[in-house]
Parts: sequence; C-alpha cells; structure tokens
Amino acid sequence: MLLSELKFGSYLTYTPRPNSDEGKYAKNYVNSIKMEIGIPTDPPLFMSDRVAKNIKAGIDETPLKDFFGRDVALVPVPKSSLMQLNSLWVPLKLATAFSKEGFGTCYPCLERKNPVNKASYSKPENRPKAIDHYKSIKLKMTLQKPKKIILIDDVVTRGSTLLGCASLLQESFPGTPIIGFAVVRTISDPDNFKKMVEPCIGKITRNGDDTFRVP
Amino acid sequence: MKSFSETIVKLTSDELIGHPLNDVEKKFAPQYVFIKGNREIMSFPRVSVIGTRKPSRQGVTDTIILTKQLLKKNIVIVSGLARGIDSIAHKTTIRFGGKTIAVLGTPLNVFYPPENEFLQNEIMKNHLAISQFPLETQTQRKNFPIRNRTMALFSHASIIVEAGEQSGTLHQGWEALRLGRPLFIVDHIMQNGDLEWPSKFIRYGARILRINDIETLLDPLPTPGVIKDVTF
Repeated sequence: MLLSELKFGSYLTYTPRPNSDEGKYAKNYVNSIKMEIGIPTDPPLFMSDRVAKNIKAGIDETPLKDFFGRDVALVPVPKSSLMQLNSLWVPLKLATAFSKEGFGTCYPCLERKNPVNKASYSKPENRPKAIDHYKSIKLKMTLQKPKKIILIDDVVTRGSTLLGCASLLQESFPGTPIIGFAVVRTISDPDNFKKMVEPCIGKITRNGDDTFRVP
Repeated sequence: MKSFSETIVKLTSDELIGHPLNDVEKKFAPQYVFIKGNREIMSFPRVSVIGTRKPSRQGVTDTIILTKQLLKKNIVIVSGLARGIDSIAHKTTIRFGGKTIAVLGTPLNVFYPPENEFLQNEIMKNHLAISQFPLETQTQRKNFPIRNRTMALFSHASIIVEAGEQSGTLHQGWEALRLGRPLFIVDHIMQNGDLEWPSKFIRYGARILRINDIETLLDPLPTPGVIKDVTF
C-alpha cells in the first residue's frame, strides 16, 4: 500500500538549467557525484567520500543535526534501470560512505526487478509515479528489524522514487520509522536556485498518482 | 630526429583521464596506455560515436549529421578507427575542424585497417591516438573488444549509430552502462524490429537519441577541466 507522505532530508540544491556561476558549479558538482569522480588528493578520495565527510563536518549546524544515527539502517535506492554485476550504483556508494562516517549501517536490500523511465530524462507525463516504483522494486534480502530506516539517494526531484521505496519497506517493517535522504534536491526553475548548500528537512506528499516535494 | 617510439608517451589510465579511477572504472581499465598526439584534448567533454564496419546509407548520413552537431558544442569525438562508422566519425571531425581521439585495438605503430594509415598518422600528429597495447604486441582478434571497453572508460558518453546483433560495438555499450556513463542509441536503430539488443540495452539504462536533438546528451557532460578537491 502506498504511503501518502514521507519525511525527507537533503543537503544541497542544483538546477538542471543554470543561469548563474554558482548554478553551473552546482550542476557540475552533481554530475561529478553521479559519475563517482575521483578527486586527486593524497590519498585519493571519491565524490561519495567527499560528500559524506563534508556533511559530517557541517551537519551539527543544520536542521539535519539529529537526522542520522548509529542504530539506523541506510538503504540505497535502486537505479531506474536494471543493473549488470559490478555496475556503478551511486546511492550504494553514498550509503557506504555515510556508514563510514558513523551515520548508520548500509543495507543494500532493494533491487529493481523491472526498469522504469528515468525521471530526469522523461517528459513530465512520462515520469514514473510512486506506484510504478513500488511495483517494480523488490526486497532482495531481509535485515534485522532496525530502529529506523533511511533511504539514500543522490538526487530527489518530486520524490516518487523515495515514496515508492518507503511504501514497499513499510510492509516488511511495520512500525519502523522510515524516512528519505537525498544529497541533492532539484530546483526546476533556475530563477529559484539561490545557492548550492541549503540543508533542509521537508516532506514528500502524494495526491493520487502525483507526488509533491516541499521544499 | 626522434624515433617513433621516442614520441610515444606512456601513462597510467588515471594520469590520462586526469583523476583517480573508482573501483568500478578500475575493473577493466588498462594499467598503462600509450599515447601519441595532443594530450590537451583530454580536458574537453568526450563522446564516442561508434558503430558497424558496414554501415547503411542511413548510418553514414546519421554519423555525419550527429558528428557535426557535437562539434558545434565543442565536444571531442572519440572512436575506434575501424572501417565504417568509426572512420566516418573521425574524418567528419577533421574535415569540420574539430578534435578527435582514436582508441586503437593495435599498437600505435600498426595501421589497421591498412587503408586508414593516412588517417591514423593525421590523428597522431594533430589529434590524439591511444593504445593500451605496447609496440611489440601482436594484433589479435580479442584485443578489439578489450579496446572497446577502454574506449567507454575514456568517454563521458557513448552513442551507437548503427550496429548488428554480433557487432563489437555492443561491448562498448555494455561497458558504458556498467560504468554508469550515458549510452545513447540513435533512433533509427529502434525501427529495425529484427534487432534484439536495442530493447535489451534500454532495459539496462540506454536512451534513444534523435540526431537533431542532442540537448539531452549534453546534460550529463562535465564542463571542461578536471574536478579538483571540492568542498561545499
């Protein structure tokens, strides 16, 4: 059964069609996260590690201060497509990096059994709904009943993926608090993009087939 | 005057690409590559334009139109210097003043196919040729699919213009998908109902590309330059 709302957190914002230097930087940054780019430091770091370390360093000054915790299960959100073995799965990289920083324990327990359209490349009318995600994902392993589950994704736009995944998980873990975290949230209108770092806690709400994200 | 081998630079894959490789990239990445030409070309967005050695008239036209569109956006065209689509992509790039990278399945001093000797020399002189095979390596059939995976690694995105069910091009397609790099299939391929691979690739994340509408392709490409240590 589909949830009607979901609490979520995010740390950064970006806009797909930037019209400012900071907007262009943010878009490039997001592309680097999506490619898990290596950073030529000594020793080398990768974008997931860098993001997790930066969030760890600044989180106490943000609304996300009490968002994570050691008794939390971090569940990476599946890609929209099927995956070959040994493929890059960015939410898994992020969940693993967050785990290293003490934000919880990574449990890659969700799997896509049927592909859905990739939201960021689809026209609004073709974007998958929460129900499409719910029906196309399966639980591939069980985990001991955690105190709290946080779904981990790289980017949230309308929140249908997070809501679909949370709906599936709540059937297996009734009573367990489930929330979502996406490193970046999309600001569709470039004029509404202010700056890249804007930590927030918000809500994803479902109205029929459609989902809405605030902020 | 320097000998041919003295003009070749040996680099690690990390050094050529400009940043450390993640574990997924490392899986099939050559430890070393040999390059000849202008290394600066690597600092621009790079897109592979690849396909069959025996293209149809439509495939030839699509390759030329697509390559010209990409050149207008200052994208470097990567291909494998094979007959057919690869050669057309390289030649179109050179003819219209763009920059191209050839990733070879042979050592840099071997010209295969032989008729591309002039083209390969031009690329080694004014563009960039890359091979993971040392000069003394014997050319073998198995080296070409290995090269195809390497070409996916050195490209930010790949476009298959035309390919049959057994085409070596598909090795690059699978590797691009595994690496999480955007893979595009030119739309006219989808009209060929005899082919099974396009729908399979779509299920694994490939996308359809209309050659006159490349904006969707540009979105995930990085802006020129190397990502330094980034903080926020």
